[in-house]
Amino acid sequence: MPFQILINVMLAVLWMFLQNEYTFVSFLFGYIIGILILIVIRRFLKFDFYLKKVWAIIKLIYLFMIELIKANIDVVKVVLKPKQDHKPGIVAVRTHLESDFEISMLAALITLTPGTISMDFSDDSKTIYVHSIDVPDKEAMIKDIQDSFEKAIMEVTK
Amino acid sequence: MFDTVMIIALSALSIALVLLFIRIIIGPSTQDRILALDAIGVLLVGFIGILMILQDTSVFSDIVLVLTILGFVGTLTLSKFLERGVVIDRDD
Amino acid sequence: MTGMIDVIVAVFVVIGVFFAVVSAIGIVRLKDVYSRAHASGKSATLGVIFIMLAVFIHFLSQGVMNAKILLAILFLFLTAPVASLMITRSAYRNGVKLDKNTVTDDLKEMYEAKDRDK
Repeated sequence: MPFQILINVMLAVLWMFLQNEYTFVSFLFGYIIGILILIVIRRFLKFDFYLKKVWAIIKLIYLFMIELIKANIDVVKVVLKPKQDHKPGIVAVRTHLESDFEISMLAALITLTPGTISMDFSDDSKTIYVHSIDVPDKEAMIKDIQDSFEKAIMEVTK
Repeated sequence: MFDTVMIIALSALSIALVLLFIRIIIGPSTQDRILALDAIGVLLVGFIGILMILQDTSVFSDIVLVLTILGFVGTLTLSKFLERGVVIDRDD
Repeated sequence: MTGMIDVIVAVFVVIGVFFAVVSAIGIVRLKDVYSRAHASGKSATLGVIFIMLAVFIHFLSQGVMNAKILLAILFLFLTAPVASLMITRSAYRNGVKLDKNTVTDDLKEMYEAKDRDK
């Protein structure tokens, strides 16, 4: 994968030389042309096309954005409600993720999604303790986190 | 018209900063105060951003970066210090 | 054309300021530290990200590509969850009380088990 990115950057620099225009815009243009060339010759390469991984990352970011905006509408609702009668609680969520990077990513995602912030880890860092601003149904909340985010993160790092 | 909107936005942000200041004064625990200080740091970044639009200058962009990083580091050190009494953990 | 971009910038700034003000109200109104962390960790960050995007668009329309502002947005994104995690964790370990409405507290079991092991 790093090899392909290197080829891509070299094509972009070559494009800049050919254009005789050393600006960011022409670099970007050359990079896009490099991607097109890589798509054409992808069958001759030994590795997977690296943009597949980039696409998974873009999907993760998209999911993240949607969740962030939903989270904020949620906070607005809770804050501006005339009577403060939400029922907060701390819930333990077990993850199946392996590496430290994946787990810290999951914790960051949990913090920026509706009604939950990650508070603490257990010693083996397999359990994330999540503070939720409103817990109507504990099991449903745990399942929701495990279904949506773990899958998206696994797609990126696997 | 555009400038009026920006000035109204600045006033609203100032009110928000005053509200956070109330929390710093009354906050029952020290963590409440850290939280409010962190939020003040974040809102100041937005404040400077609107000032950049209003004055049509990008010289403040460095200040924005430094303020973001310093606010984060300050929050981390304060809460870490309160947790254990030390700022830098050593694994031994 | 510039009128168009001004409108977009103004809308972004207004949305951002709205979220920022809501987070400030939340920090004053909500009842315990953990709920307040929700307001400060999410709304303030999103509000300021909206404002910085507006700044970026404003300068982009004048032909200035200001990468430092994008960098600031990235930093805000990365640092906000960590900051709120550290604050709530230190609050819990220092024994700041949970709100009386709280229904479940799984974290207590973990620390109690740890104390027993010692």
